[in-house]
Amino acid sequence: MRVLGVVPNGEPTRYNPTVSNTGKRALILFSHGSVLCGAGEALEAHTNRLRTRGEYDLVAYGYLNYSEPPFRDAVAGLVAQGATDITVVPYFLVPGYFVIKSLPEAVDLARARFPQVTFRLAEPLGHDDRLADALLDAAMQAKTAEHWREPLQRAALACRPAPECPLYGTPACPKVPRTPVDAKEAEEDA
Amino acid sequence: MPDALLVLVHGSPRPVANEDMFAVVAGLRARPDAAARFPIVEVGFMECNEPNIPDAIAQCVAQGADRVVAVPYFLHTGNHVCNDLPTLLEEAQERYPNVTFLMGDYLGLSPRLTDLLAARAAGN
Repeated sequence: MRVLGVVPNGEPTRYNPTVSNTGKRALILFSHGSVLCGAGEALEAHTNRLRTRGEYDLVAYGYLNYSEPPFRDAVAGLVAQGATDITVVPYFLVPGYFVIKSLPEAVDLARARFPQVTFRLAEPLGHDDRLADALLDAAMQAKTAEHWREPLQRAALACRPAPECPLYGTPACPKVPRTPVDAKEAEEDA
Repeated sequence: MPDALLVLVHGSPRPVANEDMFAVVAGLRARPDAAARFPIVEVGFMECNEPNIPDAIAQCVAQGADRVVAVPYFLHTGNHVCNDLPTLLEEAQERYPNVTFLMGDYLGLSPRLTDLLAARAAGN
């Protein structure tokens, strides 16, 4: 048996078993981003499930606009964790402008910054029978009107708080004090 | 009395952008299990394309639907999913008080999309 971390004369080395010599395979989901706090709910859930599947050593997500982290920072984070092979999957329904133009540009910048890393570009969701399965699942579990705005309530849980968010300064925004007029109305309602 | 499945779609100035979605819906219509549960399947667009959502709802009702089950073909939580689509369904509920309107989770929340993302990552 080869014992890693010990040189032949028995002296311990600086070998760090968490950083493989062969490098790590990573998957990153590329998304557009949103001004709405909490818009990343679905993307974060997919990321967590992909981590649990364990097919890649590292799984991350990164955004083109607005949301955190930006794609370039997320890629840098993967490289810092030892990624040498990064597959980029567009979290987009169709190959529109962002997939055809913005994503290759972002990946070209990443290649120039990290020439030692292999970047692979995957296809967007497009057409697949699993999308029909997802539609049918959602339809079978459909909800009545009082539940239709629950995603907005969940979005408020991820408040950053950002003035550009549609929730900012509204009663749904938990972090920013509402206007004096709003506060007065709430007092009268109570 | 049949149930209708209404797919709520954003719409695009490039109609080709809807082709994949139409292929998914065509696949759904062709499935016996889906057809048994939802004999009526329609698509309605928020912007750019026809039919718009009120017209698509009218088509469901004209075919005899007494229940319209709407599912947003959207990937993210956003103003369309959280506000605009519920408002359109509430307006429809007022217009058709004898029809039951339900709305499912938007497409992006489905764990099945995680499987699909993993397949895309693997080049499938």
